[in-house]
Amino acid sequence: MNLILLAASDHGISEVAPWVTYLFTALLAIMVLCLALEEKIHAKKSVIVGVTAVVALLLGAFTGIMPFGEVHLPNGHKMNLPVFIPGIEWGVITIILGSSLFVDVTSKSGLFTFIAIKFTKMSKGDPRKLLWFYGIMTVVFSAVLNNVTAMIIVGSLSAVSLGKLQQRNKLLGFLLIEGLLTNIGGLLTLISSVPNIIVGTTANIGFVTFLIKAAPYVIFATAATIWMGSRVFKIESLKTDEERDIAMKQVSSFDERDGIESMGFFWFGAGMLLLFICFIASASFQGWPIGKLGMGFVAMMFAVIMLCKFKSSVGKFYSGIDWDLLFFFVYLFVAIYAMEQAKVLELIGKGIAPIIEMGANLGGGLLLVSSAFASSVTDNIPLAAVLSNILKSMSIPGDSSMWWSVIFGANLGGNLTPIGSASTLVAVTIMHKHDLKISFIGFVKKALPFAILHIILATIYVLFILKHLPG
Amino acid sequence: MSSLDQFESVFNSAAKETFVSQSIKIKQVLIILDLPEALQDDYLYLVKGFLSVLELNSEVEWKIFGKSESSRMQDTLNAVEHYRPDLIVTYRHLHSDSDDWPYGLGTHIDVLTQATTTPVLILPNPDRKNLSNHSLNKTDRVMAVTDHLAGDHSLVSYSAHLTQERGTLFLAHVEDKAVFDRYIGAVSKIPDLDTETASKQIQTQLLKEPNDYVESCRAGLNKTFPTIKVEHRVRLGSRMSDYRNLVDENEIDLLVMYTKDDEQLAMHGVAYPLAVELRSTPLLML
Repeated sequence: MNLILLAASDHGISEVAPWVTYLFTALLAIMVLCLALEEKIHAKKSVIVGVTAVVALLLGAFTGIMPFGEVHLPNGHKMNLPVFIPGIEWGVITIILGSSLFVDVTSKSGLFTFIAIKFTKMSKGDPRKLLWFYGIMTVVFSAVLNNVTAMIIVGSLSAVSLGKLQQRNKLLGFLLIEGLLTNIGGLLTLISSVPNIIVGTTANIGFVTFLIKAAPYVIFATAATIWMGSRVFKIESLKTDEERDIAMKQVSSFDERDGIESMGFFWFGAGMLLLFICFIASASFQGWPIGKLGMGFVAMMFAVIMLCKFKSSVGKFYSGIDWDLLFFFVYLFVAIYAMEQAKVLELIGKGIAPIIEMGANLGGGLLLVSSAFASSVTDNIPLAAVLSNILKSMSIPGDSSMWWSVIFGANLGGNLTPIGSASTLVAVTIMHKHDLKISFIGFVKKALPFAILHIILATIYVLFILKHLPG
Repeated sequence: MSSLDQFESVFNSAAKETFVSQSIKIKQVLIILDLPEALQDDYLYLVKGFLSVLELNSEVEWKIFGKSESSRMQDTLNAVEHYRPDLIVTYRHLHSDSDDWPYGLGTHIDVLTQATTTPVLILPNPDRKNLSNHSLNKTDRVMAVTDHLAGDHSLVSYSAHLTQERGTLFLAHVEDKAVFDRYIGAVSKIPDLDTETASKQIQTQLLKEPNDYVESCRAGLNKTFPTIKVEHRVRLGSRMSDYRNLVDENEIDLLVMYTKDDEQLAMHGVAYPLAVELRSTPLLML
């Protein structure tokens, strides 16, 4: 945001007519509505937000609110850049691009499928043990990779293994619990979900601090969800020795080495994953050069190292990148930048100021619950981006629980509806792929008790426990 | 969602069919023949010698249902019902005017293989000349053939049970190249699918499954039949000519295959044409 501030201050744009602010607010509301109705209007997120960004820039240019002109660089030089470029959070873009490339290439080593099948075998085919193992695996994968990839890996394995164990009738329960757990696992680290990256980087929360603060909640909420899920969906242990023997034989026919083409690359992938986590964690420390380069650099560096293995055929990995998601972010940052110039964020900030002024306890709790409900019907990324900019503009200190209210609310709201997060949407897609019919309302009915539990636990945690943790 | 499908494919591939050894018990053998009574004992002696592997494990009761009793099809089926044997032994063109026509097996054999659930061992017609030296000697070299090897536990178990100690069991699987080429031809006309990748990867996957299953058979049979050597012949080719060549090249003493097909009364897939053509090779039809 430094470039933005420099560019804006250069031109001293401070006065914006109220009708301009309202016009941009209406535009933001239309964008949020369209994102909520993404499935109905058959338009990709990137296109919806892209149109908003284009309209916002045009309106900004015509109303004279955009800070055209040279951009001041930290070394004192000036540079001509298109007005929308400084608005893009390139740190966030590079983290997402680098880590998704890294995960995609690393998955070719067979590492994730090896771990997933090992867990399956460890369960000996017992459905309840399988649920615990898959649940824990979902949380760990969501934390280390990202929640969409975690849902894809664990969800597809659940479908295959429950089919093999002739326990297909339990698939719906497994997928629903795993979908919910992706959003809990997504809370564990700074890079586990996009709202974490956006809010964490805006509030200057380091990787290690984030982990220390979030881990106790994630562990407790995971255990509670699996325990409750096994009861709600009647996922019980096998009762007779004969059932256990058959299940044991069925899971032992899984070959965890089937997806490994080269043991060398497998161990290389495992080593690089460990190093990736260490480097990402250490990127929070500003004292050393890697820290100055940031997490985006670390993610891109590891992606490039992994790509060296496929140096002559990298095209397939580039074409596998989720460009819809990346362009969604680029356009979103441009749109929010324009909204910032039009003082829309200031207007919304005034709207939520009474909540914040209620104090850390009542205000923080209300912010968490309202963020959760808002993110359940629309994308949690614009919500996180808008709220973090508002909190920053209100000079809320980085150690305030308000930031955590936004983080917990934005992540956990995804558990209320099937469109609340990308990973729950993946869970529903897998359900439909396996002919498990579940409507929007059907999902909400099944997920609501879990989501309410998560939000209540999170509110208690953020208000009363978080402040006592180090970091 | 492409990666969802990718991961599901990886897990589907990892969920392998593993060999489950089935207990085979052959305690009563019914020999059905149309030879003159004077030759029946000689034939019994020949069959006992050929199937000497059976008597290594347990005592076998041998029954004969000859021409003198009846040559009517229904009576033959009644005899099977009466004796309830574990194995029927007979030969081509049983009760047939034509001794060794190369166009079929004879009505009795066609019905016996399909109307009973008992495995039927079909030997070359006794009048057939020019049998190879190893023919009807012992079951040292047995080959199980199928177009779906992975999961054919019963086929492999029977084949192993009939292989002599220190003998060789060949597990053969030939993917039909003509069918494969037809599908790849269709793929080559679909712009969204990369023909070269599809051709290479489908072929690899088609052959990987039977190869993996053979490995699992090898491990499983090593426990129950430690002296038997297991070899595999898995390839893409023309089923008839490849199986013919495999039988000749490996001097096969006994060919084992499935004949039952839930969807039809006639013999299953490649079994009938193979049975018709391999007139010098004993065939165990399950």
